[in-house]
Amino acid sequence: MTLAVVVAQATGTWPFVAASWAIVFGGMGAYALVTVIRGRRLSSKVPPEKRRWS
Amino acid sequence: MTTETARQVEVTDDGPTSTGSRATMILGIVTLLALAMLVLFGLILSPADENQGDAVRIMYVHVPSATLSYVGCFLTTIGSAVYLWRKSQWWDLVAYAGAEVAALFTAFTLVTGMLWGRPTWGVYWVWDARLTSEAMLMLLLLGYLAVRRLAADYDVRAKRAAIVGLLLVPNVFIVRQSVQWWRTLHQTPTLSLSGAEIQGLMLFSLFIGFIAITLVFVWMVIHRFRVAWLEEQVDAEGLDVAIAERRAEGAVS
Amino acid sequence: MTRHVVMAMLTDALLIARKDLKLELRSRVAMNQVIPFALLVLVLFAFALDPDRGLLQKATPGLYWIAVLFSGLLAMQRSFAVESADGVTDALRLSGLSPSGIYLGKTLSVAVQLLVLEVLLGVGVVVLYGTTVGGWLLLVATILVATAAISTAGTLFGVVASGLRVRETLLPLLLLPVLAPVLIGSTRAFEAALNGTPSEGWPWVGLMSVFAVVYVVAGIFGFGPLMEES
Repeated sequence: MTLAVVVAQATGTWPFVAASWAIVFGGMGAYALVTVIRGRRLSSKVPPEKRRWS
Repeated sequence: MTTETARQVEVTDDGPTSTGSRATMILGIVTLLALAMLVLFGLILSPADENQGDAVRIMYVHVPSATLSYVGCFLTTIGSAVYLWRKSQWWDLVAYAGAEVAALFTAFTLVTGMLWGRPTWGVYWVWDARLTSEAMLMLLLLGYLAVRRLAADYDVRAKRAAIVGLLLVPNVFIVRQSVQWWRTLHQTPTLSLSGAEIQGLMLFSLFIGFIAITLVFVWMVIHRFRVAWLEEQVDAEGLDVAIAERRAEGAVS
Repeated sequence: MTRHVVMAMLTDALLIARKDLKLELRSRVAMNQVIPFALLVLVLFAFALDPDRGLLQKATPGLYWIAVLFSGLLAMQRSFAVESADGVTDALRLSGLSPSGIYLGKTLSVAVQLLVLEVLLGVGVVVLYGTTVGGWLLLVATILVATAAISTAGTLFGVVASGLRVRETLLPLLLLPVLAPVLIGSTRAFEAALNGTPSEGWPWVGLMSVFAVVYVVAGIFGFGPLMEES
């Protein structure tokens, strides 16, 4: 454990933090975007009365 | 964050022709605010941990993702059970949306767990009980999603998926139990991920993380559900609509 | 009333099991292909892990159960390939047999085939890997419970994947992650039995029993909807 901490402090943890946050936020954004685009594409094919939420 | 703002624009533009509604638009804005708060507290205001250093900041997104991956599984099992019981398509699609979003969050949990492990343990992967059961969860979810994508009639696909979905939570419990015994019977347990005590501003950041990621989860499940709903409408009535369009064209010319 | 239903279910189960096993005995596919495949896997493990270094002896329980799982998968896929050909599924549905009975019967026939496979693989392990067998009680209990777990889950997921073009690839994807606890449990229990520390093995037998019960219940109640129109 102590060795691992030394290793961590030597290499720096910020790249790992940045990568984690970038992947999570980027992933959420990408998934949200894909979902919204798919929804819009499909919406145009379905009459409004079938879209119960709008 | 650019994609996040893009998302907001997509939703706010015009509700009626998308999966957005007034409620989800408000939800989306609140979610974005919570995410901004998470960035502020998680990356800037909260201090580095004594033992883990800055790696503790990964926890603020890792722990909520892990929790919500399990919440998504429960949603899938409940949706599958109610579908089998009442044959309601609504619950079937809830199960579908829950599983897909759960798979996304499981992927986040695995990736952030590995990125946390590298600076803390010196390796990307250890056969830790929690990491291993999360990996098994991912495989179980991929199996369920594979059934969802079968090229078959809706009823056939939904029924088979519901059986797999119904067993998802029991499977998760059995897998977790077995992996826990597997790792503890033969050697002392490895470091637990949140072993260090988290207090003060760090605890608050984790709390914000839970709120923000939960809001994202809810937003995603609602929108994914609506996409699945639209897909089924298109599948079911695609033919009728096509015929009606033809008729309309004929009437004009 | 309920006793009647249960009795009818069990009679149907025996009928289906007898039919499947008779079919299997006549076609000899299990005999001519699955069993040689299982033995082949044992030999391949010996090629991969040099038998002189003692690795093979140490890893025997794990290798044994992996061989059971993979050759069992072949047997299970056959069990449903037989049904989905020539519209037999329709015939079964029209036969008036209770779906739960069909499920139990199929499970039973898969279990019997697995048991034969396990005994043969056990002989193979003793002969080829030079395993010294001990802890008989735990060994037999593990084999019975693990077989129940594999066949109950395998039959249920087998029907989920049946009749589809992708069934050969879908069944392993669905089944192997689900059976991971059974693989862990049976391996650890075998290790405990062979090392002469059976007390470490019994919790695993318990866990696998829970697994088997969950799947029997799910199969009995889930088979009806699955058979309706698929």
